[in-house]
Amino acid sequence: MNQNRLNNISHLFNKLDDMKSLFQYGQKIVPILQSLVDFMQETVPLLETINNSIADSTSKIPKATTQISSVTNATELATTEILDLVDIITNTLYTIEAELKKILSTGAKKAEAINELKTIVAGNGRAEDLIRTYCENDITSDSLKNVLKYFPQLCNDAGNITISLQVQDITSQQLAAVNHLIQSVQQKLASLILDIDESKLEELDKSGIDVPHGSTFDPNASYDKSEVRQDMVDAIIHKENHKASQDEIDKLFS
Amino acid sequence: MSLKFLVVDDSVTMRRIVSNSLKNLGYENLVEAVDGKDALAKLEADPTINFIITDWNMPVFSGLELTKAIRSDERYNRLPILMVTTRGVKEDIIEALQAKVTNYVIKPFTPQILKEKIDQIIANTQ
Repeated sequence: MNQNRLNNISHLFNKLDDMKSLFQYGQKIVPILQSLVDFMQETVPLLETINNSIADSTSKIPKATTQISSVTNATELATTEILDLVDIITNTLYTIEAELKKILSTGAKKAEAINELKTIVAGNGRAEDLIRTYCENDITSDSLKNVLKYFPQLCNDAGNITISLQVQDITSQQLAAVNHLIQSVQQKLASLILDIDESKLEELDKSGIDVPHGSTFDPNASYDKSEVRQDMVDAIIHKENHKASQDEIDKLFS
Repeated sequence: MSLKFLVVDDSVTMRRIVSNSLKNLGYENLVEAVDGKDALAKLEADPTINFIITDWNMPVFSGLELTKAIRSDERYNRLPILMVTTRGVKEDIIEALQAKVTNYVIKPFTPQILKEKIDQIIANTQ
């Protein structure tokens, strides 16, 4: 009986020790909990601000993508207008060139007529002087020949303007890639608005932006006029063709 | 050899640039298509088309899908296909070759490159 009572008292002291430890631990933890509560009180409005900011940014994204699309449409329209003008200029150049060549071709007939006139007026000093003065001042042929020399270069330059306008297609692909990127970010932000937690932030941090297979743009499109890229293509084609069997090569080039 | 080209590109700018370049090279016989599906319809409607110049990235039906569709059709499997694209990554070029494009040109191209490739293809088909 006494032994039993002793055991109970011992058990009671153990429990009191536990409680004492708990109170001591509580004394230590209370300031930490207080700091945590203070921190939460400061952080919650901040998170609310972040959430609102994300919601605000997300709501602006469709406008940004629309604006990018309208830039693409505007540049395409402007490029078409430039192409139209270049076509008009080129056609006008061809017309002027043809007319000048026609005028130049009359030079032979004109020279023939002058020679005939010279024989008719032979001996008439005044008439011979006038013909000589006319021939000395008749620079039409030389001038025309000089002017005509510029035409191939002008037509070539007009053609080069057209070729340079490939930049429109390339930039439109780059803009489409940016649009896709923005839309992907929007999706991520939208998920953050629903539930901000560390795991999602971590996920956002780690995840890349995937370009879907079969997309209608090339995210790596670049306006690079050097021949390096084409040389690389040719080298790959050459290598691939030589790796293939003769039958495959024949099929490829037949 | 009288050539009739089918120029396939979703970009109106590129269709005009390729068509203009072809005209400057003396090829006047051209048909245009806005994507792969349109190209197949134009090809079906006009059996005199004997040369295709196509972009890769297009909505509805890409240039690669167009190439595969053409190559799987016995009537067109010898038709020259020149891919003109911005895609310059090695894997893309190999994928295009595996789909059996005849040759490959990187944008931006020059008329000289276009002429060179067309001449090469013509020389190899004769």
